[in-house]
Amino acid sequence: MDYAAQTAAFLLAQFPKLSAGFLITLALSAAAIPLALALGLVLLAPRMARSALARGATVGYVDLMRNTPLLVQIYLIYFGLPVLGFFPSEFSCGVAGIALQHGAFLVETYRAGIESVSDRQREAARALGMGRLKAFRLVILPQALMRILGPLGNQLIVLIKDTSLVSAIGVAELTMTGKVIIERSAASAEIFVAVGLFYLVLTSVVGAAFRLVEHRVAERM
Amino acid sequence: MLSVLTGSLPYLLKGAVVTLALSVAVVGLGTLLGVALGILATTRSRLAGSFVTGYIFVLRGIPVLVIMFLGYYAFPAFGLRVSAYVAVGLAQIVYVGAFVAEITRSAILAVPAGQIAAARSLGMRRPAILSQVILPQAGRIAIPPLLNSALTAVKQTSYASVVGVWELTYAAREVVERTLAAFQIFLGVMAIYFLICYPLSLAARWSERRLAFAH
Repeated sequence: MDYAAQTAAFLLAQFPKLSAGFLITLALSAAAIPLALALGLVLLAPRMARSALARGATVGYVDLMRNTPLLVQIYLIYFGLPVLGFFPSEFSCGVAGIALQHGAFLVETYRAGIESVSDRQREAARALGMGRLKAFRLVILPQALMRILGPLGNQLIVLIKDTSLVSAIGVAELTMTGKVIIERSAASAEIFVAVGLFYLVLTSVVGAAFRLVEHRVAERM
Repeated sequence: MLSVLTGSLPYLLKGAVVTLALSVAVVGLGTLLGVALGILATTRSRLAGSFVTGYIFVLRGIPVLVIMFLGYYAFPAFGLRVSAYVAVGLAQIVYVGAFVAEITRSAILAVPAGQIAAARSLGMRRPAILSQVILPQAGRIAIPPLLNSALTAVKQTSYASVVGVWELTYAAREVVERTLAAFQIFLGVMAIYFLICYPLSLAARWSERRLAFAH
């Protein structure tokens, strides 16, 4: 057999294992995305509060997350919690690390979207007699959502790619599966081409879905 | 309480030096590669344009860790023996290049078309238009996202430890395995990364504000 046929046959034989790893990657993303989205929302109130203390504390948290590697944060959770007497699974540690990091990025995404809505919109709504909350809900939020969708999609794609880091604490997701296949068989770099393709399909589908939603929303407004 | 951290600090700082060297190489060469690709994408050549588009699409859709593993295993597959630093460093340069190429291309496209028409009507030739009209303006637009991309690249050097490259994060894991002082060591290492990254963050924010006023 020539090289191409041999490689194709080998990769085809590994397809079930890679698919199993891919499912874990999907599960990691599916668990971390809602948590990160929710954490970003929870942090939005103190981030935009009038109290300087609340704002300062939130900015401090965001800066800490932004300026340290996610991998070290995951290690801190995974190796640190047992010292305190907690023994969560590798999967939970990975999801927690990813959600804590991306929640910090998302609060800034939300804030930028809200602040990009012109102040005059808010003033006009208030002049029509709307309360602060009502003005936010009916005037600011719909316009902000429109502008958040693009950066939000990009951020979630980064999140999906970041699930690969959970391989470092031994979760058998897609990247880990590729590594294990290399260690246990005569395979070499090709397996990571296949692993890369799995990620590429996933991130492209998510990216395309966000562009579609953005398009639909833009049409309605 | 902090005795383990202070005792291991010289070792960790050695790792920090490697992280810094790796960061400088990856950010410097990755930015150079990306700017070149970004300029190439805006030339008249269709082939060059679609090559760069494909390059950006593929690399941005794949985790950098996978590209690092690919780099790590690809050299031996071709019978080449290079150190892990070179293999993983090159993988990161290629990766950073994709993000910088996208930043450069959009910055060039953001220069108003009237500027180019005006330069042409003054009789300037293409290379002169590029170097004297387009790039100075595109450079101003690109600085904040380039600084953010550098910040991301510095943090990503820690992922090289997963592939077996010795740097700060790898050193931290060794110390934790020896001392079991996970909290002290990883928090200390986070502080070191913070000291490296925060100035970049501040520069990015400062340039965003300055350039917003300039327009």
